[in-house]
Amino acid sequence: MKKTIALVLFCSILWCCEKDDICEEGAAITPQLIITFYDNTNPTEKKDVENFIVYGVNDNNEAVLLTTTSITTTDSIAAPLRTDSDITKLVFHKNIENSDFETGNYDIVQVSYSRQDVYISRACGYVQNFTELNTSLETDLDNWISSTEIINTSIENETSAHVKIYH
Amino acid sequence: MLKYIISSLCFVLISFYALAQNDSISQDSIKYQNKYGLRVGVDLGKIARHFIEDDYTGFEINADYRLTRDLYVTGEIGTEEKTISNDYLNSTAKGNYIKGGIDYNMYQNWYGQDNLIYCGLRVGFGSFTQTLNEHTIYDLNSTSWGQYTNTESKEFDGLTAIWAELIFGIKAQTFNNLYVGVNIQFKKRLTETEPDNFENIYIPGFGRTFDSGSFGIGFGYNISYLIPLYKKDK
Repeated sequence: MKKTIALVLFCSILWCCEKDDICEEGAAITPQLIITFYDNTNPTEKKDVENFIVYGVNDNNEAVLLTTTSITTTDSIAAPLRTDSDITKLVFHKNIENSDFETGNYDIVQVSYSRQDVYISRACGYVQNFTELNTSLETDLDNWISSTEIINTSIENETSAHVKIYH
Repeated sequence: MLKYIISSLCFVLISFYALAQNDSISQDSIKYQNKYGLRVGVDLGKIARHFIEDDYTGFEINADYRLTRDLYVTGEIGTEEKTISNDYLNSTAKGNYIKGGIDYNMYQNWYGQDNLIYCGLRVGFGSFTQTLNEHTIYDLNSTSWGQYTNTESKEFDGLTAIWAELIFGIKAQTFNNLYVGVNIQFKKRLTETEPDNFENIYIPGFGRTFDSGSFGIGFGYNISYLIPLYKKDK
């Protein structure tokens, strides 16, 4: 009898703990867009972009700094896409001097896609994958990007590049 | 949750007290006959949870019929609606269930007593819908563009689940033919229909599901009344 009561109480206590509700990192992710830069004159060779940063532009035409990037010289970058919109506007800004955004040359690329919610677990809920990836370069007076090329139209992971940019 | 535990404690104490009370009934020379009949009750725990928790509604009617001195056929029928939410998901499960099985009384009653400490088996069937009320996209880089919560609700209907239960409990006679009881149910899902691109977070009758496996747990706090049909020596 006492054992039964002890058992009931013990299980009542167990029931309170809901560790399933804590989302642990690493299960699955909403992948970022991976872009690699190639030499326009020699399309098989990667080419660095100097003093370069990528940032976003929101619906009010305000710059949105992406937390994953900083001014650097690199031949590849990862940019998070908007999960609330089918279009993400990215600014590719190079030759920035002394962290002064007034300097250098920037090109705007509009990335469009279709969003797919993928169920992961009760703790993490859904991540987003992107399909039907498309890019368009806004023409300005001095484009440093010569062209873009989609390698993979669906973004499901961050293991390989999705877009090539030639410059 | 604390209130829930306290209320369960009270029930256990009341039941225990009732058992103790009956211990003191003096023997007399009249040959005692066991009552056989149909015991019908409700789960007070589910009714209490409706008032304690904002996001729960439930009701269960249970019944058992005595076959032999120690063996009962039992059944429960009920309905539940439960909303569960965390940082990323908010969903509501709603539906009905039916359970059937047997209880075996392990308690050796003293003369004139009619209490049960029992173990039993059940098979449960639940039919329900699950509504994903809203979900927030899990995105490690959400600090850039902000977290996006999709508030478009989506209903997954025609879901079913079948499970088995091992049940342990007590039923104590308080007044004439009136019983209070508590029980604990250990459950294992046998089959279920999983919604597409989602999962069953809560199953009416089964309760909350867990990532770790197909096991579940439930509690019952019953009050029931025995409708005596006939008496037998054994």
